[in-house]
Amino acid sequence: MANKNTDLIMDPVFDNNPIALQVLGICSALAVTTQLSTSVVMAIAVTVVTGCSSAAIAAIRDRIPSSIRIIVQMTIIASLVIVVDQVLKAFAFKLSQELSVFVGLIITNCIVMGRAEGFAMKNNVKDSFLDGIGNGLGYGLILLVVGFFRELFGSGKLFGFTVLPLQSDGGWYEANGLMLLSPSAFFIIGFFIWALRIWKPEQIEEA
Amino acid sequence: MQQDKKNSPLNVIILAVVLCVVCSLVVSTAAVGLKSLQDKNVALDRKANLLQVTGFEDLGTSADINELFGQRFEIEIIDLETGEPAVAKAMAALNEVGKKMKNEEETLVKYDQVWASKSKKDSVSDQLSKDEDTIQIKYREKFSHVYIMKSESGKVEKYVFPVRGYGLWSMMKGYLAVEPDLQTIAGLTFYDQAETPGLGGEIKSVKFKAQWPGKQIYGAKGDVRVQVVKSAPDDQYSIDALTGATITSNGVSKMMKYWLGDQGFGPYIKLKKQSQPEAANTTMVTTGEKTNG
Repeated sequence: MANKNTDLIMDPVFDNNPIALQVLGICSALAVTTQLSTSVVMAIAVTVVTGCSSAAIAAIRDRIPSSIRIIVQMTIIASLVIVVDQVLKAFAFKLSQELSVFVGLIITNCIVMGRAEGFAMKNNVKDSFLDGIGNGLGYGLILLVVGFFRELFGSGKLFGFTVLPLQSDGGWYEANGLMLLSPSAFFIIGFFIWALRIWKPEQIEEA
Repeated sequence: MQQDKKNSPLNVIILAVVLCVVCSLVVSTAAVGLKSLQDKNVALDRKANLLQVTGFEDLGTSADINELFGQRFEIEIIDLETGEPAVAKAMAALNEVGKKMKNEEETLVKYDQVWASKSKKDSVSDQLSKDEDTIQIKYREKFSHVYIMKSESGKVEKYVFPVRGYGLWSMMKGYLAVEPDLQTIAGLTFYDQAETPGLGGEIKSVKFKAQWPGKQIYGAKGDVRVQVVKSAPDDQYSIDALTGATITSNGVSKMMKYWLGDQGFGPYIKLKKQSQPEAANTTMVTTGEKTNG
């Protein structure tokens, strides 16, 4: 039983990663990853929302009429996102200012909807919750990797602390401006998928 | 059988209604319950910004910030058109549009000029023509805050003007601190903006902010000369624009022209310069307009 729980959480992180394998939730992975601190908060926020929304949807899955199921899922997800946004504004004001609209945009993150429709509608509350957390972590992992490279090479910092002193501040490192622009996230995600598929060749799709 | 019952119109409506009620309860509880904390955060953030722009560093805890702010800052409300203090007038106007203010102290603290501009109501804002509206605010509030930082002995050390203007994506809101000569800039900070992180968002960077102190505002003819330009000439009016963020940089430039000009704090600045002929000489002013007094 314990094994199954770990699987539910760990499977989406490496074997069935929502970004790397399912290619969902790319949009926000581009937007918030210029700094590690925002990536971390975004990862936590998405994990909480996916976990709780999957649990809530699983709890009422037998009562949801199929004709309005998408709207029901959206309503639950949207409510949770607003709560998360409000909590961030109250307890992490600085970070919520930097994330600005992107917290609200978790509503449109395909991962949350995807897990609700694909998993929570058919499974019990506990499994759905764990599956949601796992997928949030899988998403978070990519965010952290992308955020790490973008902040390090784009501004020579990690979590706001200088690692590579910039030339503009008297150091030796010339910042890579591309890393601050969205396309760089695509490149990094591409490299990540490449590395992951060398490690786990079974993820390679047939041509 | 079970499936039919679940999908019956009545059941669909019941579920939708119950779900909406539950969700709205959750959302409104969170919003109302956390409101006071959020408001506190916002107010504290404004004060911290005001302190930072006037040169205070390492602000410490929220209690420290509140205490320091209370000791050193004086808040004024002025009529932007005449430049004269207008707390009473502002209070009357606010009460007229339904923002009830008990007394002048409350007005000073609670007046929100961005709200006044957005309300589009005649008694608190003026509509701008297309040509006037270089910073895309559509309506300009009639009354504005001015924050005055004083030394411990009560001498004016800095004036801080709230400024704002549109960049590429967002309304950039900030504070401009000016030396008592009302000619030399002491600092600029932005407390609310959503420009591209890493590009336009660099208006919050130390490097960009460091360019502002010491720059001169007005030219010899009293025109606003301070500007943000690409490869800025090495003079006392120009600030180097941000790489890859032309529209944001232009927005900041226009914001300066607007708020320091006749539409903004120009009348107030003129009044102050006339009334304090000597104070202006304490800081170095090599060129630029001196006071007439």
